[in-house]
Amino acid sequence: MMKKADDIANGIRAGDLRSISRAITLVEDLNSLTIGREIIKNIYAGTGKAGIVGITGPPGVGKSTIIGNLSSKLKAKGKKVAIIAVDASSPFTNGSFLGNRIRMQGNLYRDGIYMRSLSSRGSSGGLSRSTWDAVRILDAAGFDRIIVETVGAGQADLDILGMAHTIAVVLAPGLGDGIQAIKAGLMEIANVFIINKMDRDGAFIAMKDIEDSLALTPQNEWKIPVIGLDSMKMEGYDDLIAALEAHLSFAAKDKGNEKSRFFHEVKAALLMEAESRINSLTVSSMSGITDLDRKIRDKVNPYTVAEEISRSVLDPSS
Amino acid sequence: MVDGKSQSLFKDKPIKVLLAKPGIDGHDRGMFVLAKAFRDAGMDVLYAGLLPTPEEVIDTAVNEDVDVIALSLLNGAHLVVFRKVADLMKKKGIDDIAIVGGGTIPDSDKPKLEKIGITGNYGPGTPLKTIIDHITERAAEARSRKLGIA
Repeated sequence: MMKKADDIANGIRAGDLRSISRAITLVEDLNSLTIGREIIKNIYAGTGKAGIVGITGPPGVGKSTIIGNLSSKLKAKGKKVAIIAVDASSPFTNGSFLGNRIRMQGNLYRDGIYMRSLSSRGSSGGLSRSTWDAVRILDAAGFDRIIVETVGAGQADLDILGMAHTIAVVLAPGLGDGIQAIKAGLMEIANVFIINKMDRDGAFIAMKDIEDSLALTPQNEWKIPVIGLDSMKMEGYDDLIAALEAHLSFAAKDKGNEKSRFFHEVKAALLMEAESRINSLTVSSMSGITDLDRKIRDKVNPYTVAEEISRSVLDPSS
Repeated sequence: MVDGKSQSLFKDKPIKVLLAKPGIDGHDRGMFVLAKAFRDAGMDVLYAGLLPTPEEVIDTAVNEDVDVIALSLLNGAHLVVFRKVADLMKKKGIDDIAIVGGGTIPDSDKPKLEKIGITGNYGPGTPLKTIIDHITERAAEARSRKLGIA
């Protein structure tokens, strides 16, 4: 198995698409967690070169279309581009329709852009873990720009966006009061605002609305730009690329940023380690640590028992 | 019915299936019916959009590392086009993505498709459950190969 992990890691470094695809499958699937981790350990030293851009916003504002156009434009400027699109899966059946791809299908094959769709499946922690690993794989494979698309709702999405160097929030006119509600959640994380569908009525009002709110928010050295796009006519994309690239270089200079990112990476790995240890517990293994029958007889509450056994459950040497 | 083994195989990562009509055929109503049925059966569903070439279908299947490619044509070109997809897969040495077919396929053509590894080949009126069970069976083979446990 280790040999297989090494082979795939070498394939990733060589930029072989099938190795990259297979590696992402392996990190997605808990059945192959061990080999997935071996691959990440192997390639990690080669990561950290790519600029990671998170693109988020409510459904229907044109995120996928923008990403298709943006990646073609970046490609034309000589950048190697990869895309990861995260789609929601049904909480009832776990199934999903990974529709983002259709919006950029034409750009992808024509321009040789790598794209992978991931579905969210119940567990939020699992999704951010596999998304981070997928980004690491693409980074080690030598992609210059990795674009991550999410709907930007909920903790899982915020965790995913935490790994991006630059976050662009996409809005469109016609969202009405919805725009106000969205702004509250997304205002804090945006480095760049995009107003898509500038050909529509109310586009300039939407743009001004955002600019006004930004004027009321205390700003740091990075002044958040608001970019208008007309994706049907491909207008505004040069401004968008300039804004994203400017923020990527701004973020690269910030060393505190790097430390906080690494802190989150380790925290995620720790959570996963703890979760897998806890999930692997059974009645008999827990009985090996503590006398469950006795605890039941003595009516000991579960919190006390958890405090008592947490050390042995989490201790890697046990 | 899906057996216990495949259920645990797909517990954490559902079956990933790519629906494609690789030819001059715009009748995708049936594809939408299947897309919804597969999603409701708990699968991750991708649709290649209208009029993809066989090359595009393979490119998407590889990038997304799907378990199954589900091809459909109603225009009678299945022997030529499905074969093209199967040949491209073979040329690239891909043996861990299964191909299934469907559409208006005469009974006499089915053995020819089966011979090149394209199974199912269900026509109009087939119960959705029959199709889902077949996809699950082929996906289990493909996934086991991907994970190296076949």
